[in-house]
Amino acid sequence: MTNVARSAQVLLIAASSMLFAAFTSAMVVRRGIGGDWAAPPLPAWVLPTILFAPLASWLLHQRRVKPAMAAGAALVAAQIALLAHFRMAVIGEAFCAVLIAVHALHAAAGVLALGRFGASAAIFWHFVGLLWIYVLFLFGVWA
Amino acid sequence: MTVFSTCHKVIGKQYIALSLFSVFIGIFLSLVMRYHLVHPDTKVKLFQLLWPDGAPGGQMTPELYLSLMTMHGTIMVFFVLTTTPQSGFGNYFLPLQIGAPDMAFPVLNMLSFWTTALSLLTLLAAFFVEGGAPLSGWTAYPPLSGLGKITGPGQGLGQDLWILSIALFCVASLMAAINFIVTIIELRAPGMGYFDMPLTCWGWFVTALISLFAFAVLLPGGVLLLLDRLAGTSFFIPGGLIVNDQVQTRSGGSPLLFQHLFWFFGHPEVYIAILPGMGLISTVLSVFSGKRVFGYKAMAIAMLAIGGLGFVVWGHHMFISGMSPYSSIAFSVLTLAVGVPSAVKTFNWLATLWGGRLRFTAAMHYALGFVSLFITGGITGLVLGQPGLDVYFHDTYFVVAHFHLIMGVAAVFAIFAGLHYWFPIMYGRFLNEQLGKLHFFLTFAGVYALFVPLHFAGFVGNPRRYPDFKEYEFLKSVMPLHIGVTHAAYFLAAVQLLFLFNYLWSKRRGALAPANPWGAATREWRND
Amino acid sequence: MAIAILIAALAGATVALFFQPRWWFPDAISAHAKAYDAHFLFTLCVIGAIFVFAQGLLTWVILRYRDRGQAPSAHEGNNTLELVWTSATAVVFLGLAFAGQGIWAGIHLDAPAANALRVEVLAKQFAWSYRYPGPDGAFGRVDTRQIDDASGNPFGIDAKDPAGRDDITGAILRVPAGRQVELLLKSRDVIHNFFVRELRLKQDVVPGITIPLRFTADTPGSYEVPCSELCGLGHHQMRSSLVVMAPADFDAWLQEAQQKAAQP
Repeated sequence: MTNVARSAQVLLIAASSMLFAAFTSAMVVRRGIGGDWAAPPLPAWVLPTILFAPLASWLLHQRRVKPAMAAGAALVAAQIALLAHFRMAVIGEAFCAVLIAVHALHAAAGVLALGRFGASAAIFWHFVGLLWIYVLFLFGVWA
Repeated sequence: MTVFSTCHKVIGKQYIALSLFSVFIGIFLSLVMRYHLVHPDTKVKLFQLLWPDGAPGGQMTPELYLSLMTMHGTIMVFFVLTTTPQSGFGNYFLPLQIGAPDMAFPVLNMLSFWTTALSLLTLLAAFFVEGGAPLSGWTAYPPLSGLGKITGPGQGLGQDLWILSIALFCVASLMAAINFIVTIIELRAPGMGYFDMPLTCWGWFVTALISLFAFAVLLPGGVLLLLDRLAGTSFFIPGGLIVNDQVQTRSGGSPLLFQHLFWFFGHPEVYIAILPGMGLISTVLSVFSGKRVFGYKAMAIAMLAIGGLGFVVWGHHMFISGMSPYSSIAFSVLTLAVGVPSAVKTFNWLATLWGGRLRFTAAMHYALGFVSLFITGGITGLVLGQPGLDVYFHDTYFVVAHFHLIMGVAAVFAIFAGLHYWFPIMYGRFLNEQLGKLHFFLTFAGVYALFVPLHFAGFVGNPRRYPDFKEYEFLKSVMPLHIGVTHAAYFLAAVQLLFLFNYLWSKRRGALAPANPWGAATREWRND
Repeated sequence: MAIAILIAALAGATVALFFQPRWWFPDAISAHAKAYDAHFLFTLCVIGAIFVFAQGLLTWVILRYRDRGQAPSAHEGNNTLELVWTSATAVVFLGLAFAGQGIWAGIHLDAPAANALRVEVLAKQFAWSYRYPGPDGAFGRVDTRQIDDASGNPFGIDAKDPAGRDDITGAILRVPAGRQVELLLKSRDVIHNFFVRELRLKQDVVPGITIPLRFTADTPGSYEVPCSELCGLGHHQMRSSLVVMAPADFDAWLQEAQQKAAQP
């Protein structure tokens, strides 16, 4: 991997982290002052999706790019299916839907990047996996 | 194909052309506004021609005025001040100055530009949809911006397009920021350390870092606002609202939350506009004094300090917003602290001139004008940065005068300086020096005549964003001042045609420039 | 050369403008406003001195070092100088920040007086309404379904709540001179802003929250209240008045208004 590719991914990760930090702090504030917060209900089948990310990262580590992309695509599909569960008029669910949708965009971009750049795009993919664990933690535990 | 060129020089020129187009739209809008402020009851055929719904019979409606104001601010901030100094000059000269063959990601660079262009088209489209352009200002505070048409014409599709345009601009800026930073980190010529880069590169570097973090926060703000409008969420919409006699069903949202997200971006945005200019001014002053930049390292560190502190002062835009009065105290101290590196830069500019041999080229004129304007515009920040004093001036013409001088005009003077200085590289010819100096003198005097008196409207307490001043007894006394200011605005706008002419004429017919005509030491002037 | 003269002339004109009497603050009508003016004048002297010094230095440097064939000096930095001007500006700027905290505290942080007159302020597109609690000292309950601007109940005072029967509402803010007033600012739709120039006070009125704002006006008179946060197409016409009355006049007015409110 070239230095250029590595730097670009690190910066992209910085920007994405900032993006998620902004959404998260908005959620913390909104939850604190709204007085109408209810934890968004997550269907039980969401839990195993937490494994998709480490699976894809492991596949990448084995240099098996195509299967890793398939795992990523499956995650995106699961996220899209998940979006149907939320009502936008309920604030907790709205935040959940937004963060999942934004993560799905990242995951889709990650899959495309793997297709275009192969294993050079691995750093970003690992980040996407961690980010998914973070999102699930945020709504499964914290919220 | 040059339209979708991936060459950094072409893209740089494309960005500059885009801003040149935008700046004249912005100026035109401001003239229409200034005219209306002093002739609120005059019917104008042209207005009716341009905005049949907004100016029926040529009589401008308040909603049209407010939409022009919104578009003026948005166009100037995003498509002029954010575009030319960073993306225009940066794309063209950063690779040349650090000895890189091109930007790190030429295709991404092309995409950034065309996303910016799409963003501009999206914004301008707001003029042509039902209800016209939005009227909530460039700050777009909800609930005014969050509830749709019910809060006023232009708050329907026009506001949607506005948000979409800003979101696109965020994406374009994030891509550009990554490109700039990677280029600087990875593609510097062998042996060139960070502290060997010209200060212009430091300006672009710090600006790109700021963009990376600031636009990544504006984007979520825009997304959540759009959802409030289109998906029925209540991120920013509180409960119990009755708008236009209609009960709203949303509840629990916080209007202040949006302001925090907006200004977390909005204040660093000021530095996005001015830091590249600061770098450039350092270079121009140094070249035409025949001296090296005084305190080079202090200048670079001051830029980093401004960039860093710039992220923790956003609350000074919210002193009167209803946020905790205790946090205002912290924001106040930090705000005045960010003035320190700015003052340090001014001292260093003066010290750069000290003991030099000053050559008064057109570029040097603009650079010296920049320093003067930076002092005049910056010094009132010491008033507005104190929450106790801000309670009077907030949202008055004092603030309008302050930010036009420091963020608008100072940055524009840096652009003029840059164009005169680098024109020989861009087009192989000089911008006409005599015409340039004439344009400088008229513009410099015009700017002072326009914006210094506006502070005094602020002393009277004149609120900004008013389509006319007829309703208030106390504003009658300000009218003569506004008439004077409006004439200064006409004058200033007319004078800009000199520059436009100079630019277009010199591109083809200007005097041919030899290699390195100014005797500069930076790499972009080498012929290798 | 010419540029030095122009900078000096424009800087001089800028300073001169501060000596014209025409466009300035209106007369202060409260102790806070007078303290404000004093601190502003102090700040103005400080920034005025910086302004004259910096523009003067710029002018002088341009004149002194214009190209007369001299050899430019080679100096390119001096850490002592950097340290001196960094710490000097830090002292001045941060000094201003701390000196200014007093008037800020006077608005928002000082404890309210026990006998403060409480008035509820309701902003909506594009009008202001004021509500006094009446002799019982309590605001009546609000029921948003009963809001009716046409019949004079913009607040939606619940007809069933006895505490609300004696509430007084109106479109003008009347207050007694010399007694502290505590406004409770509320908005029904978008963000507005309550601004009284003579009090040197300005506060956003934000829907969803109630923001207190206290002042003690000393000089009887009528003062304009312009909405100062963009609130839509009628923003520039969202005007109201603050009427400061001699205490006896205010009591007489209050009594009359209460009698009117008591009649069904």
